[in-house]
Amino acid sequence: MSISLPPWFVLLFFPGGLFLMASGLVYQWVDRKLVARFQNRVGPRFLQPLADLIKSLAKEEIVPKGVHTFLFQALPIIALASALTSALYTPLFGLQPFFTFKGDLIVTLYMLSGLTLCIGLAGANTVQSFSMIGAVRTLTQLFSYEAPFLLALLGPAIAAQSWQITRINEFAGDNLWMIVAQPIGFIVALIGLMGKLELPPFDAPEAETEIVAGALTEYSGRGYALFHLAKDVELVIGLILVASFYLGGLNNPLEFVLKTFSLLLVIALFQTLFARLRIDQTVGLWWRVGAILALLQMVVILIGRYVSPLLTGG
Amino acid sequence: MTDQSGVNKFVVPIGPQHPALKEPGHFDFTVDGEIVTGASIRLGYVHRGIEKGAEDRTWTQNIYLMERICGICSHVHASSYALGVENLADLVSPPRSKAIRQIMAELERIHSHMLWLGVAAHEGGFDALFMYSWRDRETVMDLLEKVSGNRVHYSANVLGGVKFDITPELADEIRMGLDILEERNRHYLNIIMNDETLIARTRGIGTMSKETVERLGAVGPTARASGSERDLRLDAPYCLYKEFPVKLVNHSAGDLHARFIVRTEEVIESIRNIRLVLDNMPEGELTVRVPRRIPAGEVYSRVEAPRGELFYFIVSGGGEKPERVKVRTPSLCNWGTITAVAVGHKLADMPMILAGIDPCFSCNDRLVTVRRNHHEPQVWSWEQLRRYGVEYYK
Amino acid sequence: MKIGSMLGDLLKSLFKRPVTQMYPFKKTPTPERLRGRLFWDPEKCVGCQLCIKDCPANAIELVVLDKVNKRFVMRYHADRCTRCAQCVISCRFKCMNMSNEVWEEAAANKQPFEVYYGKDEDVGFLLEQAARPESDGACAEE
Repeated sequence: MSISLPPWFVLLFFPGGLFLMASGLVYQWVDRKLVARFQNRVGPRFLQPLADLIKSLAKEEIVPKGVHTFLFQALPIIALASALTSALYTPLFGLQPFFTFKGDLIVTLYMLSGLTLCIGLAGANTVQSFSMIGAVRTLTQLFSYEAPFLLALLGPAIAAQSWQITRINEFAGDNLWMIVAQPIGFIVALIGLMGKLELPPFDAPEAETEIVAGALTEYSGRGYALFHLAKDVELVIGLILVASFYLGGLNNPLEFVLKTFSLLLVIALFQTLFARLRIDQTVGLWWRVGAILALLQMVVILIGRYVSPLLTGG
Repeated sequence: MTDQSGVNKFVVPIGPQHPALKEPGHFDFTVDGEIVTGASIRLGYVHRGIEKGAEDRTWTQNIYLMERICGICSHVHASSYALGVENLADLVSPPRSKAIRQIMAELERIHSHMLWLGVAAHEGGFDALFMYSWRDRETVMDLLEKVSGNRVHYSANVLGGVKFDITPELADEIRMGLDILEERNRHYLNIIMNDETLIARTRGIGTMSKETVERLGAVGPTARASGSERDLRLDAPYCLYKEFPVKLVNHSAGDLHARFIVRTEEVIESIRNIRLVLDNMPEGELTVRVPRRIPAGEVYSRVEAPRGELFYFIVSGGGEKPERVKVRTPSLCNWGTITAVAVGHKLADMPMILAGIDPCFSCNDRLVTVRRNHHEPQVWSWEQLRRYGVEYYK
Repeated sequence: MKIGSMLGDLLKSLFKRPVTQMYPFKKTPTPERLRGRLFWDPEKCVGCQLCIKDCPANAIELVVLDKVNKRFVMRYHADRCTRCAQCVISCRFKCMNMSNEVWEEAAANKQPFEVYYGKDEDVGFLLEQAARPESDGACAEE
C-alpha cells in the first residue's frame, strides 16, 4: 500500500519520527505485558512506558567525573537518530517506504549496528568498572551475532535477487512465505534478533544481577531516556525486517499489526523460557551453531537458485 | 582496562548496594577480562548489637529479640534459645510442644528453600522460575499464617513450650497445602535436573571437594552438596527428631547444580516429615512453667537451621537477665568457601556462587575477637569505639 | 535434557488469570489467628503487670488510678508493639487478645498509635489530668 506525503511530514510525524517513537513505546508495553502474563503476573498498564519516558526525561542528568562530556551527551542522540533513520527504508505500518534506493538493506542493518556501537562507546567512555565490562560484553556480542543474523537476512535477498527492501517485500508478498521455504534461516533470524536487541537469554551485556545495568549504568535523565527509546525503535524495526522477509511481506496496516505482534508473542515466550547465558556461552553458541546453520541455509539457497535451473534445463 | 605492566588490577566492587545482593555486604573481585583472579569479602554492614542488647532484657523478652536476628530463620533462632534456657532450668517441654516446634521448623525450612530457589534463579537470569517458585511459596506462607498468625516471625515459642495448638482442622489444611507444595516441588526438581540453560549455568561451577569442605568448616546444604554427611537433626537430635527422623539428603558432585538439587530434595523430605509428625502428634499440654529466675550455669544448644548448624551459648548468673548470649550462625561458616572457589571462574558466575551458599547477612554480623597469644583481651569503652570508627573512615 | 522445560507452565499461564491479589480493590479474609492490634478488657484486669514485664518492646504501660477499686488505664503504643502476643500468654486472666480485623494501620502521623484503653470515665479522668498543668503530689501516678 502506498500513500504520498511530504518528506518533512514523514520525517517528523508519520510514519517516522513521533509515530515511530510512539509505536516503539507500544511495542515495549506489549512485550512487557506478555512477559508478565507468561510469568503469571499482571504486568504494566498501557501508559507505563510513556510515563517512564517522561519521568526519565524530567530527571536531572548527572555527568560523572572523568568522562568526555561532549561524547557522553551526544551518544544518546546519535543512537536515537540512527535508529530513526534506519526505519525510513522499511515498510513502516505496512506502507511503502518513502525513501528507497538500491542497497538500502545494507544501510538499514548497519545503522542498527551503529546503535549498538553507540551503546558500547557510551559504556567505554565512562571510567567505571560496571560500564566497561558492559561495553566489552556489548561489543563481543555484536561480533558474535552479526554474521549469522546478516546471513539470515540475506537469504531472502538472494531469493528476491535484490538488496532493496521494497523489492524483497514485494517478492515475499508474491511468493511462498519464506518461513516455509527457508525455515533454518527463519530460526537464525529470530534468535539473532533476540541477540541484537539484547533480550534474555542473550542479555549478558546488561545483566542486572551482575553488572547493574551494563554499559548504561552511569546514564540518568535525558541520556537514559533516549537510549531506551532508541532500543524500543530498534525492536520495532527488527520485527518489521524479520516479519516482512519471512512472513510474507507487509503490504497493508492490518498485516503489519498481525504479523509483527505474533512475532513479538514468540519472542516474549523465548524471553521467559530460558536462563541467561554467560557471554562466553553466547559467543560459543553463535559462532558454532548459529554460523553453521546460517551457512547451511545459504548453501541450500544457492543450490536452489543456481544449480536447479541448470538441472531442469531452464 | 589492564595496564601494560602485567599486573591486572581491575577491581569490580559488588555491594554494599547491588542488585545481586538482597542485603548489604561488600565483595571485591579482581578481574582480568571476565576471569576472576582474586576475591575479598567485607561484612559488618548489618551489625545491630543484638548480643549486647540481650544482656539488658529478661529471659522472656530475649526470645523475641533472638527471633529478629533473621527473618527467614526466625523460628529456629527462637527455638534454639528456648531449648537452651529450658536446659539451664533443668526442664523439658512437653512432647506436644516439641512436635509443634518441629512442624514449624520444617515448614520454615520449606519456606526458606523455596525463597532461595527463586533468588538463585533470578541471579542466573531465569526469571520465570523465580516468579513461579515465589508464587508457590505463598502457599506455605498462608499455611504458616493460619497456624501462627503471621507470615514471618511466627513467635511460636515461649519459654517452656509453644503458644498455640494445631487443631485437627488445621492439620487437614496443612496436609492439603503440603500436597500442593509437593507436586510443585517435584516439578521444580524436574526442571532443575533437566533444563539445559539452567544446567549450563550451574554445572561445574563452584565445585568443592569433600576435603575442602571439611577444612573450611562449611555447614548445611552447601556442605551436603559436596558429600558431607553432617546433619544436626541426625547427629544430635532435638525436639522429636529421634522418633520421627529425616533422611540425610546429600549429593556427591559438589558444584552449584548439586546445591540446587540438595535443597529441593530437602524440601520434599521436610514435607514427608511433617506429614509423619501430623499423623502421630502426641497428646498433652503445651507449656511447662519456667521460673523467672533461671539458675546459674552455662549451656550450649544447637539446631539445624535451613542454612546449617546454628549454635547458641548461654550463660546465666542466676538472675532475671542472661549474662551472655553468644550466637554463631551457619552462614558465617560458609563465607570461606567463596574465596576458596572464586578464582578461575568468570565474573558472571560470581552472583550465582554467592547465592549458592544461601547467605543470610543479617544473621552474620557479630563482633569476632581474635585473641592472639600473649595479648590481654581488650575492653573498649563507647568513646574509644566511636573514635575508632571516625578515624577509620577518614 | 530438555530445552525450555517450563514451556507447559508458561503457556498455561497465558490463559489463566494472573495470581496477583488486586489489593486494595479485593481483599481476602484474614485467618482467625492473625495477630493484629492488641485489645484489652479492663473488666478482668487485676493489675498484676506481668504483661508489662514480659513485653519485649515496652509497648504497654498501666496507669493505676485506684488499685483497690481496680481502676486502670492502659496506654498502648501501637507503633512499638511487635505483635508477638507474649502479653496475651502472660496474662493469667485472659484480658488481652490480638484482633484479626484491625491490621491495616498505616497512618500519616503518630496520633493513632498512642491508644488508651479502659473504662470511659477512667480514660476521661486521665486525659483531663494530663491536660491540666502539673501539680505535685495530688494526682495518682503510675
